[in-house]
Amino acid sequence: MTELAESRSGAVDPVRVAVIGTGAIGQDLVSKIHRSSVLDCRLVAGRNPDSAGLRRAANLGYPTTAGGIEAVLAAGSPFDVVFDATSAASHRKHWRLLEPLGTVVVDMTPSNIGQMVVPTVTGIQAGTGRNVNLISCGGQASVPVVHALATNFRVTYFEVVSTVASAVAGRATRMNLDEYVATTGHAVTTFSGVSDVKAILNISPAVPPATFRTAVHARIDGADAAVVRAVLDPVAEQMRTFAPGYEITGCTVIGDRVTVALQVTANSDVLPVYAGNLDIINSAAIMVAEQHAAALHRTRREAAR
Amino acid sequence: MRNVVIHDPTLRDGQHAVKHQLGADALRRYAEAADTARIPVVEVGHGNGLGASSFQVGSAAVSDDEMLSTVRESLRHSRMGVFMLPGWGTCGDLRKAIDHGADVVRIGVHATESSLAERHLGFLREAGAEAHCVLMMSHMASPAELAEHAAQAVGFGAQGVGIMDSAGHFLSSDVTARISAMVDAVGTVPVIFHGHNNLGMAVANSVAAVDAGASIIDGCARGFGAGAGNTQLEVLVPVLERHGYATGIDLYALLDAADLAERELMPAPPVTASMSIVSGLAGVFSGFKHRVVELSALAGVDPRDVFFELGRRQSIAGQEDLIVDVVAELSARQTTR
Repeated sequence: MTELAESRSGAVDPVRVAVIGTGAIGQDLVSKIHRSSVLDCRLVAGRNPDSAGLRRAANLGYPTTAGGIEAVLAAGSPFDVVFDATSAASHRKHWRLLEPLGTVVVDMTPSNIGQMVVPTVTGIQAGTGRNVNLISCGGQASVPVVHALATNFRVTYFEVVSTVASAVAGRATRMNLDEYVATTGHAVTTFSGVSDVKAILNISPAVPPATFRTAVHARIDGADAAVVRAVLDPVAEQMRTFAPGYEITGCTVIGDRVTVALQVTANSDVLPVYAGNLDIINSAAIMVAEQHAAALHRTRREAAR
Repeated sequence: MRNVVIHDPTLRDGQHAVKHQLGADALRRYAEAADTARIPVVEVGHGNGLGASSFQVGSAAVSDDEMLSTVRESLRHSRMGVFMLPGWGTCGDLRKAIDHGADVVRIGVHATESSLAERHLGFLREAGAEAHCVLMMSHMASPAELAEHAAQAVGFGAQGVGIMDSAGHFLSSDVTARISAMVDAVGTVPVIFHGHNNLGMAVANSVAAVDAGASIIDGCARGFGAGAGNTQLEVLVPVLERHGYATGIDLYALLDAADLAERELMPAPPVTASMSIVSGLAGVFSGFKHRVVELSALAGVDPRDVFFELGRRQSIAGQEDLIVDVVAELSARQTTR
């Protein structure tokens, strides 16, 4: 049994987790934690006592606070996992405070501090005292495709263009566009070995809202659309094991320019179906935390022997 | 006589017409001519702005650095302008442009997304550049929405705020309603209008904008620009003067600059081609034209259908990847018919 399957089977003791940030990402994380049999949400921390996110968490029966990071630090024994769904600037401060506690911090912001994780590409190396960087929505969506293309073809340039619906681009996203561009580009280079890359983010106000989509453009000599597609179909299938709304919708080759279009719909109690940008990064985060739970369970079992 | 400040994006928006292939010599020669004509602001860059050279919208022939240093060296009187879209360029690109001597920096955002400019406008104010915010694809928003977003941009530090008729969709009454609402909302902050000529309305719409209180108007030599082109600068200036608005531009030198532009920048002056009319009617970003025509021809679909479908999907500037999808879909529909 894989560690993930083991953790999801319920054969693992629940681990204590906290969520900082009550925007759409934070709210969906709480709801996904609620579905998980191994993650036990012990605190949801925001800044505004009247926020809808805190109310929603309280309605699910979880302890809430408007005390932000200070409340997380004051919670007695440290949490096993803290999800940080705030902003890149806040995360830098939060990490300084959380690092000494040995907590695993799952970073939902594009702060680019910790170890980058894209579950199907990197696997999930769980450990303690680690900062796990979820990169960006565009990174989670594109890196599996980028990695597969770079593994199978000689690629000399990558460009990743994502479109997010305005309704699900929160203030932190809007303030962090520069970090989004830098962090996503860095991830594409890291997982492809291609240094010439570009990342772009569009925010679309279309009504009804546009489903989250990403176009991966690549420069590849002599590529054939059917061959590219055959390489990518298993990638999409693998992604759907934890993000069921992941789908490759197009693959076009014109000269040396390959364009792969993909979209992600949300599978969420909280998010609208078009919010695949939030769903994909949260799904990856939950997978990381569940994996960590399995590792902790093993450690504790061995210690008890 | 009221003053109107003319901004000249010939060397920026004009890039769309030649797939961002203007060379350094062409940039230099036109910038010198514009400077001689005393055009207040000469804007330069990739058509989609700083940091935008890409597969998605087209790779530029000349790097941002080279474009900026070339034009800077050519300007003695005119100020240098640049343009940037958040999500495409970053504060790093803005820093570079200011170091190269950019005086006026415009942050472009979709009409209803002024919050995307918050950080970059703040950065520009700290860096000491004149910071503008322009709302693109403004036909997709109501006068009240544009007024709200203009006021918000001013709150973020914009020292000039305006609209682009990116699809060339407006009639003059649309412009009057929008500019009036924005002027009411932002008080003494200058309001900008940037027209496109898809429906032959660019000069008339620019006059309507000034009459409604706009004080910064964009125009390009010979109308060089995306799709059917921009407001034709050497027509706009004398028309504004006849309406009683002063621009401070030397007419003969302006006409010389326009003639030079026609000779040295463009294979042919823009015309209101059939495809541009359709793009304007459909409300699709004028910069999509080349890509729509190319991809439609490859797939054997009618580019007019592609434009209307892109309009129906409310595509915005920067979403060129949607063209691929729409063409593939229309092509599949044809095959199954």
